[in-house]
Amino acid sequence: MNNTKKTTSSKDKTLRVLLYLAVLVLVLITLYPYFAMFTTALKARSEIYAKNGTVLPIIWHWENFVDIWKLAPLSRYFANSLLISGGATAIAILCGIPAAYALSRMKFKGKKFFLGLVIVSQMFSPVVLLVGIYKIMSMLHLTDTLMALIFINAAFNQAFAIWLLRGTFMSISSEMEQAATIDGCNRVQAMLRVLLPVAAPGIVTALIFVFINAWNEYTVALTLISTDVLKPLTVGITTFNGYNMIEWQYLFSSSLFATLPVVILFICIEKHLVGGLTSGGVKG
Amino acid sequence: MNKKVMALLTASVMAASFGAMVSAEDIEINAIVAEYGQNTKEWWAKFQEDFNKDNPGIVLNAEVVSWNDIYTVVNTRIQGKNAPDILNIDVFADYQADDLLLPAKDFVSEETYAKMYPAFLEQSEIDGTVWAVPDLASVRTMYYNKDILEAAGVDVPTTWDELLKACEAIKAYDDSIYPWGIDMTTDEGQAAFAYYTWNNGGGFVDENGDWALNSDKNVEAIEFAVNMVSSGLTNTDPANETRYNLQDMFGTGQIAMLIAPNSLPTYIAAGGNEVNYGISAIPSNGTDSVAAGVMDRFMCFDNGYSDEKLEAIKTFFDYFYEDARYSDWVLMEGFLPATSAGGEAVAAADESMAAWVEIVGSSKFYPTAKAEWADVKQGVIEAEQRALLGEDVKTVLDELQEDIAG
Amino acid sequence: MKNRSLSKKIGPYLWLLPSILLMTIFILFPIFEVFRTSVSKISKAGVVKGFAGMDNFTKVISSTTFAMVLKNTLIWTIAVVGISTVLGFILALLLNNEFFGRKAARAVVVFPWATSLIIQASVWKFIINQDFGTLNTLLMRIGLISSPINWTPSPEAYFAWECWVGIFVTVPFVTFCVLAGLQGIDESYYESATVDGAGFWQKLFSITLPLVRPSLTVSTVLNIIYVFNSFPIIWTITKGDPANRTDTLVTYLYKQAFYKGRTGEAAAISVIGFLILCICASVYMVLSLRKEEADE
Repeated sequence: MNNTKKTTSSKDKTLRVLLYLAVLVLVLITLYPYFAMFTTALKARSEIYAKNGTVLPIIWHWENFVDIWKLAPLSRYFANSLLISGGATAIAILCGIPAAYALSRMKFKGKKFFLGLVIVSQMFSPVVLLVGIYKIMSMLHLTDTLMALIFINAAFNQAFAIWLLRGTFMSISSEMEQAATIDGCNRVQAMLRVLLPVAAPGIVTALIFVFINAWNEYTVALTLISTDVLKPLTVGITTFNGYNMIEWQYLFSSSLFATLPVVILFICIEKHLVGGLTSGGVKG
Repeated sequence: MNKKVMALLTASVMAASFGAMVSAEDIEINAIVAEYGQNTKEWWAKFQEDFNKDNPGIVLNAEVVSWNDIYTVVNTRIQGKNAPDILNIDVFADYQADDLLLPAKDFVSEETYAKMYPAFLEQSEIDGTVWAVPDLASVRTMYYNKDILEAAGVDVPTTWDELLKACEAIKAYDDSIYPWGIDMTTDEGQAAFAYYTWNNGGGFVDENGDWALNSDKNVEAIEFAVNMVSSGLTNTDPANETRYNLQDMFGTGQIAMLIAPNSLPTYIAAGGNEVNYGISAIPSNGTDSVAAGVMDRFMCFDNGYSDEKLEAIKTFFDYFYEDARYSDWVLMEGFLPATSAGGEAVAAADESMAAWVEIVGSSKFYPTAKAEWADVKQGVIEAEQRALLGEDVKTVLDELQEDIAG
Repeated sequence: MKNRSLSKKIGPYLWLLPSILLMTIFILFPIFEVFRTSVSKISKAGVVKGFAGMDNFTKVISSTTFAMVLKNTLIWTIAVVGISTVLGFILALLLNNEFFGRKAARAVVVFPWATSLIIQASVWKFIINQDFGTLNTLLMRIGLISSPINWTPSPEAYFAWECWVGIFVTVPFVTFCVLAGLQGIDESYYESATVDGAGFWQKLFSITLPLVRPSLTVSTVLNIIYVFNSFPIIWTITKGDPANRTDTLVTYLYKQAFYKGRTGEAAAISVIGFLILCICASVYMVLSLRKEEADE
């Protein structure tokens, strides 16, 4: 399995070649949609629909990447997405940490019930609850605001955050906290000073998951937000795939732009991703 | 609601105690308007600015919503008891059925009301009352690629027989070209139903205005369209290729003929294509050709208005339908006017529009005033798609008729 | 003393309070609304017209389309989750090897996960189009085909493509869950197994699989819920067309609610979907909680 030792038998060599081949095919298939997006983003609409299409653009319309900024308030969409994802992540984690702490460190009545609630809250996708969501938002005077999306994303990611954090906390021995409590710390201080630094990788993983989910959320934003300048990127860019036109080149150039930050973020924290899932996942 | 009541109460109490010294609080009008194209947002932004400047004491707040979202937005608003005051959309019967609307005469001044084409107003009539006013129209007719038809050696078809022959000739000339474009998607499949049934003497309703979805004429018409698809004379996937895809394929010469709105040339030019096209009546079968009209409307929700607010709403419509402003509105996205004065202005401003203004006067419209329209619209689309999958046209239309009127 | 025991009793709930508030307001209340709507009579424009009893449920269940949609939903969930799990597992095994470019390969695998579903779905819809899609263009330019292929000749073909996109975006999550599990396995297990003369398959089934099972269970349960409720892929590619043949519960109920204005029936469908998932979840919960108690 873990072929860390260098062996030179011919069987191993064939395996090695097969491994490279398999990985190469997978990488090519994975990258193909991005290649298609990129080349299409640089074509003119007439070229996209041309009878004898070409793989690469005949004329590279780099200006498409400039035009999208004029055709739609992309920088606003971008800022909205950042605000929504950032806000939702902050709330989800701030509410999730104490809950996960209680669930991993304390014994109390209704613990099972609460864990059940966490799973139930995962069952419903926001699409299914749109009417209810809209009602509560209009009661709170939050329709058509970024606040609404921040809360909804925080709430719908709460279960996953708690689940991940609880797993992380459970994998860390409570002995050190107990020692700290004897030294005169109260529970909150013990958690803040002793547990959280050790649990940092797991927390980072939870942060990232919530952020990505909120960044990619589409349906609730589509329904709750009607003011153009309040739309997040996911909804904003579909303007190019609207009722009056389909502008594939603009759709894809703005899509690439919306995807780039997340991909970079993912690549940067790929190590943490696995680390956090190990502690969270195995025990979960 | 409560806020408004409070504001009014406060205002009236203050007015009573201070007499004429205090100016009344600003009246707020909330409008949701449909986004017709890339220029709509800018147009409304300017309109709002001008309107608020010219009408002190009234604050208009116009929200431009794309067609993708508008039904969701409006319905969730209504469910949240937060209906807009003014709505610009295509359908109105569902709202009327729930007693949510005011009659048109209550919210439009007599003078402005008189400007509208009576035939258009009739389209918004339920039980003898007009509930909405038309804001614009567009009309669909046949476009053909002159070069392809010439190369294939066929004349412009006017009947179904000629259409079939022309399609076969085009296919024989170059089988990589789709002779005819059909759109039966969830977005707009009801239009296809209209094109073929109306031009075969059928339609959604009979002469009494009752649903007649499974009439023999309709069955024959849908069979004709579906047969064209299965004989390979059309684009291969009518259930999934929207009109915009077809329009772009027409623009690059992949499709030779299709039925499209009067805005098609603008659309093609914006995409960077040049086509040598011609316009002709939609081919028909034993009847006069019927052009398909689409009309959108303004309606006013009954939110319990004070007299002042109702006056403010009337002011809004007077302002909107002022001739110069109105023809600017219509021309903005290449639509057709719904008022006689607007028609003259548009025809004068743009010669090529004159012919269209003529056609729109004689076209048929969807029966959107009937309460079941939303179900009929989705129902005919589903029926078409089932027919495309090989189900018997008569059976699916019988089922639909039973479902709607049975 | 008394004070302390009180705080001990209330204490845990205070820790849970923010989380409970958040979920109650923004999830439980909407769930309650959906249940209420499912037994209400609602007009097309969304006005409540009174109590409807089980009418909405009867209407939904009696339609022949619903059975088909239910079947599609099951196929969709099982196919996407099942195939993704197998592929994700294999991919994790591949990527767990040391080889040149491993880091780059792992970075690439992350791509589909980091891309919004709506974007992935739009691209694939574009790629497979017969008339202007890039797949036909590419294959024709390479010379593999001479004329455009219709990749979606039937509803079933569309549905298969949708499953493919679903798998495409789900595999990375499984891969990373399994990779996490694999990294926790002590190398010595394999070494002693090798000494005992165990082959590749033996090691796979007696060491690797049992040890990554917790990670696999977690990813599978989460994926079942996500995929079952997934909306953007099918909505973007076919909207459930033609004639509901590619609809799943979620897209079907969205159309009932927002295209046909049948809010009550849509709510009934979401309640049915909820019950189905509840059954799955309670099975899982009983199993996992029992196991946890055994562990303690």
